[in-house]
Amino acid sequence: MVFGDSIVADVLAFLAQPIVIALATLVAFVVLGYFVGRLNERLLTALNVDAAVEGTAFERTATGLGSSTVEVIARLSSWFVYGIGVLVALYIVGVLEPTLFWQEVTRLVPQLFVAVFVLLVGVIAGDKADVVITERMRSVKLPEVTLVGTVVKYSIIYVAVLIALGQIGVATGALLVLLGSYFFGLVVLSAVACRDLLASGAAGLYLFLNQPYGIGDTVRIGDRSGVVQEVELFVTRIENDGEEFIVPNRTVFEDGASRLRG
Amino acid sequence: MSDVADLFAGLVEDIDAVVLFSPAASFHERFVPVDGAVTIVAGEKNTVGADRFVEVPLTFTNVRDRVEFALGAAVENDLIEEGDEALCAVGVFGDDIDTVSRVRADDSLRSGLYDLFMHSRAEPGVIRNVLEVAIDLGKKGQKGKPVGALFVVGDAGNVMNKSRPLSYNPFEKSHVHVGDPIVNVMLKEFSRLDGAFVISDSGKIVSAYRYLEPAAEGVDIPKGLGARHMAAGAITRDTNATGIVLSESDGLVRGFKGGELVLEIDPEEY
Repeated sequence: MVFGDSIVADVLAFLAQPIVIALATLVAFVVLGYFVGRLNERLLTALNVDAAVEGTAFERTATGLGSSTVEVIARLSSWFVYGIGVLVALYIVGVLEPTLFWQEVTRLVPQLFVAVFVLLVGVIAGDKADVVITERMRSVKLPEVTLVGTVVKYSIIYVAVLIALGQIGVATGALLVLLGSYFFGLVVLSAVACRDLLASGAAGLYLFLNQPYGIGDTVRIGDRSGVVQEVELFVTRIENDGEEFIVPNRTVFEDGASRLRG
Repeated sequence: MSDVADLFAGLVEDIDAVVLFSPAASFHERFVPVDGAVTIVAGEKNTVGADRFVEVPLTFTNVRDRVEFALGAAVENDLIEEGDEALCAVGVFGDDIDTVSRVRADDSLRSGLYDLFMHSRAEPGVIRNVLEVAIDLGKKGQKGKPVGALFVVGDAGNVMNKSRPLSYNPFEKSHVHVGDPIVNVMLKEFSRLDGAFVISDSGKIVSAYRYLEPAAEGVDIPKGLGARHMAAGAITRDTNATGIVLSESDGLVRGFKGGELVLEIDPEEY
């Protein structure tokens, strides 16, 4: 029995060595990381992320490198877990003293990971927005129209970069001010430029819901009268003796409309 | 001495245009333009990226219709001039080009089909959608039984003023357009109702169950067609609308414009 006891004691002593515990931890983290990666891949595929990112520049680059966006993000999460595993293992072995520097590093790693993740999502979302907008505007035969997509794309990427920088603690005050003034300008400009359009759209919504007049009715809106040919969101088309008036819907609210019964 | 080469030389001699109908991309790349003749591609979509392209929105199985439509469109878009001789290369028996014919683009070609699509008040896409519904309905009928239907497309305001409701309008206070899949099913269901469908320039379905009461004087349509056709002819003469009729008795789809019969197609051929 003494013999057996000593073996058990030896084994326990061996297992209690920091290096063995560290290795075991590392292996555990590697397995965990692998499964986290797999789980993420499944989740992203189930959420149809691969279909959503189709056509973006990022996806094309990833495909060119024999990978895919879903795989890249899944790998990223795996590597994050591996990284934590390595750090923990190094602590256990005692290579890393819990000094201030290493504490900082340990604190920074998750933030760095989040920053990279946000940046990735930002780039992909920007690309996707560009693709979708360009697709929508294809019927507009104007070469400059691609500019809209590009502006939206870089706005999204800019915001993503800001968030990423904020994550890792870089001072972004000046950039924030820039972003603020940019959006302020955008809102003010579009509010000024689209004022009439918005007013007409709101009035058009009312016309759609309540239908005070319909196609075929004879109406007078402002100083124009005729037969209603079409009620659209922004304008009403009325026709009188071969003359077609395109009346903005807001005039219906400003001047009122009268239905003429013949 | 006359052989096959002479036959083709006669066809190609002094032509002003070559019209390729839906050519394969590889064929179009290898194609060498004929001296003194413009090359025009015709098809549903410009898949080969040709400089000169005319859109043929329906796939006509009848080659004559296809050629007429494309030449009408080419004249209209100033790609060729009236009176030009065009060599038309079409695939009749398959998708690949297998037939060549020499056609003169003159007045008779510009009537009918192209006119119906492009010179109607309603948008070409709307006319196509309505034609497709009518053709589909003609093929399948309503629950296997042949049905008739009358669609009045465009100039809806005037059409509404020259008609009266037979019953409650099922499309009242709705904002549905032809071409949406669910709407096509609705149109088929409602086709068993009596009366006409009224569709606006942009494709909005304004009303079903309409009894058209236009002045029918001077309407010149072939004898033997029924009341539905007469009503369609008369309303298109009285307004700027286009009438598309599916006949219950012979199953043909006919198009009316300006009081005249301009199109006659057999749904079974599509």
